[in-house]
Amino acid sequence: MPADSNMKILVVDDMVTMRRIVKNILKQLGFANVEEAENGQEALQKLRADTYGFVVSDWNMPVMTGIDMLRAIRADEKLKSTPVLMVTAEAQQSNLVEAVQAGVSNYIVKPFTAETMQEKIGKIFK
Amino acid sequence: MHNQAHKLYEELGELARFVESAMAAISEVSPQIMSSTTQLPTAASHLSDLSKMTEDGALEVMRLTEMLQESHGQAVKELSAVVETLRAMDCTTLVGRLEKVTSALAQDDKHLTEIMTTLSFQDLVAQRVKKLVTILNEVQGKLMELVVVFGLQQNNRASTDSGTAGELLKQLEESKTTAMQQKVADDILAQFGFK
Repeated sequence: MPADSNMKILVVDDMVTMRRIVKNILKQLGFANVEEAENGQEALQKLRADTYGFVVSDWNMPVMTGIDMLRAIRADEKLKSTPVLMVTAEAQQSNLVEAVQAGVSNYIVKPFTAETMQEKIGKIFK
Repeated sequence: MHNQAHKLYEELGELARFVESAMAAISEVSPQIMSSTTQLPTAASHLSDLSKMTEDGALEVMRLTEMLQESHGQAVKELSAVVETLRAMDCTTLVGRLEKVTSALAQDDKHLTEIMTTLSFQDLVAQRVKKLVTILNEVQGKLMELVVVFGLQQNNRASTDSGTAGELLKQLEESKTTAMQQKVADDILAQFGFK
């Protein structure tokens, strides 16, 4: 199933610079319908209130971390099939294992390139 | 029995001398400990400022990059329309040249996207700064414990101003208050006839 360029995407990061970078790359890749959240809790509220095709999330955030948000998504009957791409500086093997066990769809280590994001999105929607 | 008591007495004496010399040593460094304790919150504040400054800088570069991406997009659209018209008129040489320009613009777009992604350094810097601030706060807590446990004398004025760290922090504080916005500087220069 190729990625639908009209689908709504949620970018979750506490850093405004990272949200803007991810949003910009997604726009370059043809995804213009992008919304933002500053932490996992805010993201869950948005996800429960609307329909999103895809989530791009950071790991380290105040209030609710990306990994806790991912677990909450996978535990939610309505949201559990939403693809979640983690974009994080947590490059330790244990973190990656934890994310995979929690049901992450793919994982990008910062700093990253637009090509990497394109490749990962392509893999998620293959 | 008498020998044992004498040995114990000697050991206690040795212990007392050790405690006394340890207390003297701690007392000797007490101004530095007090100085460090009082300077740490300022150092943490400067680190947070650093994070904010890099964020502001990155956001400004992003704003300009996005403006360029936008105008490139418009230029490519316009060029495509011109190419189509010229193609209909069978102007192959001009079409070829314009296609080269379009290709160069596409290459520039790639570079602009690279500029955007390179700015993710700011996020990595901010995360490290956050960790350093946490460490500084922990160290400050430990130093405060030391101050309370050993009852070190406070001499804030003298200690804060002493040492290289104190001097550097003082310079940073001064640079903060003497830093000037360009607009304010221009306004002042204008009052002196600069245009």
